[in-house]
Amino acid sequence: MNLNYKFMLEDIPVVLKALPVTLELTFISLFFALVVAAIFGIFILKKVPVVYHLVIALNTFIKGIPLIVQLLFCYYALPYILRMFEGFLGYHYDQKHPSYFAFAVVAFAFNYGAYLTDVVVSSYRAVEREQLEAAYSIGMGVWKAHIFIIIPQAVVIALPNLANYFMWLLKATSLASVVNVFELLSTARASTAVNYAILEGYLVAAGIYWIVCIVVERGLLYLNRRMSRYRGEVKAV
Amino acid sequence: MWRGHELFAESLPVLVEYIPITLIYFMIPTVVALILGALICAVRVGKKNILYYLVSLFVSFFRGTPGLVQIYLVFFGLPKLFEPFGININRWDAGIFYLIATCCNFSSFVSEAMRGAYEAIDKNQIEAGYSIGYSRWQCFWHVTAPLTMQIALPNLKNLEIDLLKGTAVAYVIGVVDVMGRADKIIAQHRGYGQIWILLAAAVIYFLINVAIEVIFNWLTAFFSRHERGIA
Repeated sequence: MNLNYKFMLEDIPVVLKALPVTLELTFISLFFALVVAAIFGIFILKKVPVVYHLVIALNTFIKGIPLIVQLLFCYYALPYILRMFEGFLGYHYDQKHPSYFAFAVVAFAFNYGAYLTDVVVSSYRAVEREQLEAAYSIGMGVWKAHIFIIIPQAVVIALPNLANYFMWLLKATSLASVVNVFELLSTARASTAVNYAILEGYLVAAGIYWIVCIVVERGLLYLNRRMSRYRGEVKAV
Repeated sequence: MWRGHELFAESLPVLVEYIPITLIYFMIPTVVALILGALICAVRVGKKNILYYLVSLFVSFFRGTPGLVQIYLVFFGLPKLFEPFGININRWDAGIFYLIATCCNFSSFVSEAMRGAYEAIDKNQIEAGYSIGYSRWQCFWHVTAPLTMQIALPNLKNLEIDLLKGTAVAYVIGVVDVMGRADKIIAQHRGYGQIWILLAAAVIYFLINVAIEVIFNWLTAFFSRHERGIA
């Protein structure tokens, strides 16, 4: 193997500069995925007629098709939709500079939203019903009971699953390089344009992904261990 | 957009012809991962020697980097690796590179699923196997393997579905499967109707996934047949 080691060393800071974009894409997508999951989860938990079935059908379909197809779908379809809103509330769609980043976020949000819906629903159901009844019995309203009693417990239960999906999402953001988002992988490829050391560029990208994944995994494990304190059952006095 | 449904109807039969190719890219990693994954799992639950650490590094790398990066690494790296030996593999089909990358990736994930399952099975079962005079191989075949499979199946199902969805990524290095063909059709109709072609591909992937789901539900029932109550 005759690799250009000197170039690889020089390339590390260049590629590292794009790491914030990847992390940004991950966190923003995760946030919107959680929003989607919360809304879908409420529809499912409340069994809203018709909408309930529509949400389940949509989720099943989203989970059944490849992420790359969804990314390309958003990449091609969202400009059409945005163009329809031209002039609406003073909105102007800039055809020359479409926000590929935002398109990718939409795709990730719906894809991971579909998976996280299951997490939201199952962790909500995992909190015992008595907790809600107990909260009502001491005079809490629906909102108060959920915000102070149910949701904190559900979050602790959901955390291991959430951590898993976070890792998946972090790796999946590399697919956004296919739809013109300048994140870590596409930056690595672009940085090799000067000397065609494509393999070296990808090796650097792989190394960075690997290290980030290990660090994030350790961090999430630590968080899980900290949070598991709150999972203990209340001992009878 | 205006002739969208026609484009959908036009591209669907073309894409259907490529289902066997997608299935090949799905089946080969499945079979390889069952064997390689089991071997990795066997090393990872055993003694902590050099092999253990090497295999752990392998698994860590393939679980810690995106599949797309691995595909690129194999696609650009393997020809360079073979170069000093005077073997030119630049003319190999892109699908082979995809398969090599995916087999390693998928084996790592399967081995982890199997390891989790192996650690969850009741070890008394294995002792019971030895106690009735089973050899190591018999014990593996009649006790350990079925029990591990039973516990690992729900995880394996999710992994298999991810694997099938992952085959769509292969088109970035020029593999022509369902997604690769869809990409070519998109290139032919430059400028309009891309979403309808993608929708056709999406429907195909969805239906294959439904089939995988059905097969795995049947397998789950098969592997947990001993749990049926005696009526």
